[in-house]
Amino acid sequence: MIDGFAVELRQVVKKFGQVTAVDKVDLQIRDGEFFSMLGPSGCGKTTSLRMIAGFEMPTSGQVFIGGEPQGYLPPYQRPVNTVFQHYALFPHMSVYQNIAFGMEMQKVDKNEIQQRVGETLEMVHLSGMDNRRPKQLSGGQQQRVALARALVNRPKVLLLDEPLGALDLKLRKAMQVELKILQDQVGITFIYVTHDQEEALAMSDRIAVMNQGKVHQLGTPEEIYEAPANRFVADFIGESNFVPGVMQKMGPPAEISVTGTEQPIAVEWLEDGINAGDAVVVSVRPEKIRIHPMGQAPTYPAMCRLSGQVEKVIYLGTDTRYLVRLNEESAVVVRLQNIISGGGHFNEGEKVDIRWDSAHARVFKE
Amino acid sequence: MREKLQRFPALRAWLLLLPATFWLIVFFMAPLVIVLVYSFLERGTYGGVVWNFTFENFQRVFDMLYFSTFLRSIYIALLTTIITLLIGYPLAYFIATRPPERRYTLVLALMIPFWTNFLIRTYAWLTLLRTNTGLINTMLMSWGIIHEPLPLFGNDFAIVLGLVYGWLPDMVLPIYAALDRLDFGLTEAAGDLYASGFPTFRRVIWPLSIPGVVAGAMLVFIPSLGAFVAPAILGGGKSLMIGNIISNQFLAAHDWPFGAALSTLMMTFMLAGTLIYFRAAKRGDAQ
Repeated sequence: MIDGFAVELRQVVKKFGQVTAVDKVDLQIRDGEFFSMLGPSGCGKTTSLRMIAGFEMPTSGQVFIGGEPQGYLPPYQRPVNTVFQHYALFPHMSVYQNIAFGMEMQKVDKNEIQQRVGETLEMVHLSGMDNRRPKQLSGGQQQRVALARALVNRPKVLLLDEPLGALDLKLRKAMQVELKILQDQVGITFIYVTHDQEEALAMSDRIAVMNQGKVHQLGTPEEIYEAPANRFVADFIGESNFVPGVMQKMGPPAEISVTGTEQPIAVEWLEDGINAGDAVVVSVRPEKIRIHPMGQAPTYPAMCRLSGQVEKVIYLGTDTRYLVRLNEESAVVVRLQNIISGGGHFNEGEKVDIRWDSAHARVFKE
Repeated sequence: MREKLQRFPALRAWLLLLPATFWLIVFFMAPLVIVLVYSFLERGTYGGVVWNFTFENFQRVFDMLYFSTFLRSIYIALLTTIITLLIGYPLAYFIATRPPERRYTLVLALMIPFWTNFLIRTYAWLTLLRTNTGLINTMLMSWGIIHEPLPLFGNDFAIVLGLVYGWLPDMVLPIYAALDRLDFGLTEAAGDLYASGFPTFRRVIWPLSIPGVVAGAMLVFIPSLGAFVAPAILGGGKSLMIGNIISNQFLAAHDWPFGAALSTLMMTFMLAGTLIYFRAAKRGDAQ
């Protein structure tokens, strides 16, 4: 490996007719990494994966696997294997034949095939299922066969296209843990495509958040959640409040006047390209906001304070959500953990103060 | 009455089946039994039968003269089946891999010629193939490409050509139906697992399309075996198939019992073929 990257996309573009599915994407995926491509449907994540696998060819740009440019190599000449969304198991073959297929195509010795199929079946907890047909297996078992069929070939990179999408929630959670353990065990680079942000946060070493064919942010789950790079990422990952306002002073300290209030609030991080006088939104996560009875919020430096009225209280078990109306145009969701049983510390209609640390606010272009 | 029907749902089912049962017994089973019975009787002088029981008709069936025609018919029907498969499979594959809205147009295009009567279409072939006045030979000779007319007519070639033309859609449609159901994600999976084009076909596409191939082969083989229009017209009266001999026994030779015996033999043969088909289909389902 020349550059130490398992997979690299350089200025990759894919057009389908007039539609640009992937728009000048640069990605460098490290060896042994659990890398996720996350985004809504149509964001270009699956197309990117298919270009790595060789099912689609880039309109321009280059895909490298293990430092080697792939050009127009067909899928069967690339050192990667795929776990498909709907598994694509061969219905006329047994579990054993499905898993052995790739090795047979590569003319692996019969005894070795037998040994490796056995080992892999054991790894995915399907020993003894050799002679079943895919139809005779549950969704979760089919998923494991698909995984085994890819992993048994010991690819440099395993591509997973929403592999858990067809499973029910409970099984999906269990498989997330299992996949992660499996990846540690085999040490293969995983490239994982999903639209489920929780799944991506839970499993990935790094995530590329994509939208409309572009990578919006690349980072660890924590970076992406705590420090979203733009409004799309803040909105797509987890829950965010977006309070509209106007950029007052560029600072430091930078200040914003929230629409409908008089006192400006301090902010620390601004998206590039914002100037004084621009319309902006202040983005804060609901769990980063504290809530106090009116006039009782402690004052610290770097604390932003706004007043409002509790409009709605929603009890959620582990925590309670308060919808606090600031003025006619904006309201903020606050999430408080229910540490003391009984929940409701505040009632609907109550006047309250809310506050947050200015380090937790991100300011994006409107 | 209504109350009775409500109390006995099975009775209602039987009542619904009545017209079909009547139809099958009177117009399907009865003629079949008549054919079977006639095949054991003696011929009347001017057609019809004389009610004397005999095995003689079946002894004559195995007379080399007729039995060789029977074997030749099997050979021609097999050849027709193989050729329609070789032409029909790629065609079905092509149609099944087009975008959905194009597929219906293509299937329709395949069917359109068959809205015209088979006899008329066969006569159209006659004008193309005829030895001295046929369109193909006259054109090739006027262009100086050939000097002697090609033997396109009055032989097995012409018969097989007519049959292939006639039964091609019966081969294409079942294969198309099988391929249409095939998840082409599977071919991607095969490619991902190091199988190039041909191994993907051999290991994935072909096995999954076999039910369609078997159905198509049956639908082509059976009517080809009993064909008599194509051999009568394109065979030029010289190249005969079993279907022609049977129709001659009834219409020209006035030997109904012998015609019936030949029919019985052919039906037995086809029944055997159909049973093999159903057994194969059952095995396919079990997978």
